[in-house]
Amino acid sequence: MIELKNITKTYRSGGVDINAVDNVSLTISDGEFIAVVGHSGSGKTTMVSLMGGLTRPTTGNVLVGGVDIWSLDNKQLALLRSEKIGFCFQFSSLIPTLTCLDNVRLPASFAGGQKGGVDHALSLLETVGVPDKAKAYPSELSGGQQRRVAIARALINEPGIILADEPTGDLDEYTEADIMNLFEQIHARGVTIVMVTHSRNLAARALRTLVMENGTLPEFAKTSS
Amino acid sequence: MVGILDPTGIGIDDGGFVTLTSVYDMVKTTESNETKRLLDVKPGDISALMVNVKPEYARGDVATAIETQVSGVAVVTSKELMSSSVARQLEGLRPYMLFIGGGFWAISVLMNGALFSMVVNERRRELGLLQAMGATRAYIFRLVMLEAVQLTAIGGLCGMVLGAAVIFGLKGTIEASLGIAYLWPSSGFIAIFSLGLLAMAIGTGILAALYPAIVASRLEPYQAIRTGE
Repeated sequence: MIELKNITKTYRSGGVDINAVDNVSLTISDGEFIAVVGHSGSGKTTMVSLMGGLTRPTTGNVLVGGVDIWSLDNKQLALLRSEKIGFCFQFSSLIPTLTCLDNVRLPASFAGGQKGGVDHALSLLETVGVPDKAKAYPSELSGGQQRRVAIARALINEPGIILADEPTGDLDEYTEADIMNLFEQIHARGVTIVMVTHSRNLAARALRTLVMENGTLPEFAKTSS
Repeated sequence: MVGILDPTGIGIDDGGFVTLTSVYDMVKTTESNETKRLLDVKPGDISALMVNVKPEYARGDVATAIETQVSGVAVVTSKELMSSSVARQLEGLRPYMLFIGGGFWAISVLMNGALFSMVVNERRRELGLLQAMGATRAYIFRLVMLEAVQLTAIGGLCGMVLGAAVIFGLKGTIEASLGIAYLWPSSGFIAIFSLGLLAMAIGTGILAALYPAIVASRLEPYQAIRTGE
């Protein structure tokens, strides 16, 4: 379960304080598939980053599995990120100097390495549909293939939560549909998915849609599909 | 021991003179000691011979006469033996040379620091992603420092190899221009000096990368990923 309690994230830009996320409270139960939609600059990505402990809220608390993540020390927070949360980012987030197999195995090394076996990584590459790309480098893959490898990487530690920031950002509609199918398969295994998207069509495939407006999450904007 | 050479001020010379008879005696002594053979000089072996020319003779003429009359020898004529005043001058120059060297070293630390800062800035997104995947701040710090150590160690080794190649390549030119025999320090000294240089190169890298590594380890993952896009 993810809980945001009165979260505000303020940035200072040009001498002016801007609330990217403004007093948002939200509870996401285990196993939900949530889409976060809204205009550019509405605070979608910031809110998902707050959920994953990638940025510290100016005020408020973020609880993951009942634990206030900002009460943890750096080592514990890093372990929480690697074990409990998988991230998929908007653009290619693969390390260019590593092969796809090594990219997939990388998060496991931060979590003690038990789940980073070659067989496990290869099975994940097969799950996401790129079993033949294990030895390829990211630059040798198409955009869609890179996203698939990034999803496999997010799954290596078998996290209970996947946070995806526009995972189909610049992909064609066919590849977009494939990636969405993949997320639905992952969700079917009981994984909680929070996905930021601009696309109302993609959001319609989630179980719940959150509409961000100027950093806020109005009650009426929390809709169920 | 019949004489000790004055130090020239370059810091690596501590030579002395012994008679040839003494050398042969030393060889004999070491030959009888089976556990430690210090010298491998056979009777009659001579590697270099210094000829003191009387003032009434021209050094060039004597050199030519030796070269034409004695086969298998190379003659190096000294324009002027290093006098004690030259040695004193070199000794006096040493602090200034150390000061200039220190200045260059400080500049190299600053330049390397700027370079590592650029590298960290260039890789902000990658460092943010690593943190998102579970890398701790300590891991990021170690990553940057390790890279600095590797780069400066390779740079130091390349510099030493290049420097040695230049010295070997210019050996003949130096001999000819200074008119003195080219003396190498002992292999032990060269080994210790090389290790010292390598340690200094690595130390320079560590010092230079310290601040960029601290900055890298304190990056907020979200900001690093966003600003690095």
